[in-house]
Amino acid sequence: MRKATRFLEKFSTVACFLTFLPWKLRSVVTYSLLGCAAETRLSRPPGMLDLRRGDIFTKQRPCSSPVSWRPQLCLGNLSPMAEDMERLYAQRLKRYVTAMRNGKPDCVPIRPFVAEFTAKYAGFTCQEVTHDYEKAFIAARKCAAEFDWDAVVGNMVYVWTGLTEALGLKYYGVPGIHIPADTGFQYREPPEEKAFMKPDEYDALSADPTGFLLNVWLPRVSKDVVAPGEANSERNNLALIKGGMAMLSYFSAFPKQNELLRTESGTVSAISGILKAPFDIIADKLRGYVGLSKDLLRQPSKVLKACEALMPHLLHVALGGADPDKNVPIAIWMHRGCVPFISPSQFDRYYWPTLKPIIEEIWRRGHQVLFYAEGRWGAHLQSFAELEAGSIVLHVDQDDVFEVHRAVGDRFALSGGIPNHVLSYGKPQEVRDYCRKVIDEVAADGGYIMDASAIMQNDTSIENVRVMTDFTREHGVY
Amino acid sequence: MIEPAEQPSSSRVPGVCIPWEERLKELAENVEDEQLLKRVWQDVDSLAYTFIWHCLVSF
Repeated sequence: MRKATRFLEKFSTVACFLTFLPWKLRSVVTYSLLGCAAETRLSRPPGMLDLRRGDIFTKQRPCSSPVSWRPQLCLGNLSPMAEDMERLYAQRLKRYVTAMRNGKPDCVPIRPFVAEFTAKYAGFTCQEVTHDYEKAFIAARKCAAEFDWDAVVGNMVYVWTGLTEALGLKYYGVPGIHIPADTGFQYREPPEEKAFMKPDEYDALSADPTGFLLNVWLPRVSKDVVAPGEANSERNNLALIKGGMAMLSYFSAFPKQNELLRTESGTVSAISGILKAPFDIIADKLRGYVGLSKDLLRQPSKVLKACEALMPHLLHVALGGADPDKNVPIAIWMHRGCVPFISPSQFDRYYWPTLKPIIEEIWRRGHQVLFYAEGRWGAHLQSFAELEAGSIVLHVDQDDVFEVHRAVGDRFALSGGIPNHVLSYGKPQEVRDYCRKVIDEVAADGGYIMDASAIMQNDTSIENVRVMTDFTREHGVY
Repeated sequence: MIEPAEQPSSSRVPGVCIPWEERLKELAENVEDEQLLKRVWQDVDSLAYTFIWHCLVSF
């Protein structure tokens, strides 16, 4: 229950996963300001095995990691161990991508979205990994290596509270400040009367979304940023400087993190780029769920127009962080569009018509989208099926993964579906039994990526995650 | 294809906070290498766009 509650609170923020910088930003930042090359993609070294020849397996178990992990801080010429890592990386990338394209790889890929679980495993508090992203990175890499996973997110905790505190954001419950140090950060939606956007401001948002964010929204969500025309102070100016520089620092660290995941443990960075549905943006960060629910009845056309105005910007943001190699998907974190938050007719009128064209445009440009569909989305599977086969990977949270597979498994790869309560509180044999059923029924013909239903936090059992991993390696071989 | 919603001419398209055209009006008529000025203005301006939109979407 805590997990479910936490998800609703965290909806709008856990999201991101800009595993690569927005490309334009990255080029400017990485090469001009920092003056160093932090390219994430290493070229294949001479003599390295070619994936397409099929000679990629290690001498150990077909899908296992051959080398134990140790932090690697410098990169030089590739040693034999580094060549092993490159080979392992290539093997895992092929496995992961094949499954996401709804194909049958050599075995079931494992791509767990481990958030505060990484802190628990590495011996950090939630406060440490949330407030010190270097510790979050270390914890993520330690887990990636020691659990033999194919792909992970570089920092699934994601929200770096050093940045949010510098900017003075009001809507976070920060571990160690507002909540206990070993509780994951929380998103706190304000009461309706204190929503960050007022009900009569739809026209302003629709007319100029970027201007609205700069001039109205940011001063309201920040304790320190002031609106144009208001008296300001050194503290006000510093909030913008520190917030901008903090984002630069944080985003610039991801390419190196991805590089270390690759070279230390041969692990693939699972996603690249972030998308949210226009409707979710209004619900999460602007009007709030309660306010938006009333707006759908009182001023529905303005809601729709605002969603439409947000569409090109959200597409732009998503493509800016997309994987240039077009291997790993852009992730969309889906919140308020499912039953019971809105009705099926509201989904059909607002949520889907202003999201579907974005997905289609992203696919037209060659990128898949990972639907991280938090909650129950079974009522909308027919809508999802309108999308071109293969254009999305559908992550299953609260729905029955077997039913979802029967409904759309012929069109899209699935991930997730292993209940978090089983991973947190179940016996190891229960974990094995559930994984066996999912592998046998959902993954039988490929097109499945092993993961929990929702992100794994620090209530998740280390033993059970190991069981899920090891059993998938043993039983999930095609 | 997704197009920006109907907006006043002074508003911003995706990726832009202050359009180059506005900046250009502030410059003398005889600036040199206008394309260089434009490219760098737009590159740096896009950083501001990235910042504000990622504040909304990612944080």
